[in-house]
Amino acid sequence: MNDSDVSKQIDQMVRFIHQEAEEKANEISVSAEEEFNIEKLQLLEAEKKKIKQEYERKEKQVEIRKKIEYSMQLNASRIKVLQAQDDVVNSMKDAASKELLVLSSNDTLYRNLLKDLIVQSLLRLKEPAVLLRCREDDLHVVEEVLDSAAQEYADKENVYLPEIIVDNNVFLPPAPTSDQNVHDLHCSGGVVLASRDGKIVFENTLDARLDVLFRSKLPEIRKQLFGQVAA
Amino acid sequence: MDSFKGQEGIQMLLTAEQEAQHIVLSARNLRTQRLKQAKEEAEREASQYKSHMEDEYQKSLLESSGSSGSNVKRLDEETEDKINNLKQSASKVSNEVVDMLLKHVTNIKV
Repeated sequence: MNDSDVSKQIDQMVRFIHQEAEEKANEISVSAEEEFNIEKLQLLEAEKKKIKQEYERKEKQVEIRKKIEYSMQLNASRIKVLQAQDDVVNSMKDAASKELLVLSSNDTLYRNLLKDLIVQSLLRLKEPAVLLRCREDDLHVVEEVLDSAAQEYADKENVYLPEIIVDNNVFLPPAPTSDQNVHDLHCSGGVVLASRDGKIVFENTLDARLDVLFRSKLPEIRKQLFGQVAA
Repeated sequence: MDSFKGQEGIQMLLTAEQEAQHIVLSARNLRTQRLKQAKEEAEREASQYKSHMEDEYQKSLLESSGSSGSNVKRLDEETEDKINNLKQSASKVSNEVVDMLLKHVTNIKV
């Protein structure tokens, strides 16, 4: 081989080496790009998924909190309405309570009332001897009607005249006055009877009657008032 | 003479080989860098996404507190109305009821 052939061959080899290197570098570069894209996409999608889940959870919590708050508000306003119903009904009872006082101001009416109350009490107790307690102011009227009441009872029940002992020492509390505290003890009228030994007591005061009556009529009253209102 | 020329030739080949290695190495380095970039870019875009979600979330919070405020107001108004109706119907029948109660209190069945 001569010199020019040798150097030609060497040049060829050098070119070849370079070419191979370039091709290899190219391959690497192309696959690097692919890997870049895949890697970036995978990482990004994973992160986004996590973030999305986190915010979905947050939103759900907000929803739940809203629901709880609303439900609490609803309850509070229901209670308000129920309370108002109660107030309304009780104020009616108070109004009736005040009217009781009017009853005792009409002498004839009240006199008959007392008599009937005593007769009814005697009929309920069915005792041959009873104790009777009334307001101090009513003592006089009570003593006036006592005999006819006892007679009426005896006739109705076909028994002997009962012995009625009127308590002259302890009286029922007096009528309430307008400036008095409504919680102080008072009595609007009527009588309290008891068996001789004091074991069976029958409260036939106007206040007690109103209490009992009010309680038993309450469902009816409520229906009349609130029948249409959702409880 | 020949051996000198031979040396030159070999030198050229060696140099070419070195350069070739250099080229391949650069490509490999670039690849490593590219992968690192992938991570960085993914992180950056992810945090962009996150702040976007955060904004949406805050917006929905504002909306919901606004609507719940108006709900409460509506509820309160409805309650007030109910109570007023109550009071009205009560005052209508109050006298009736009181009379009824008094009648029963004084009606003594013997």
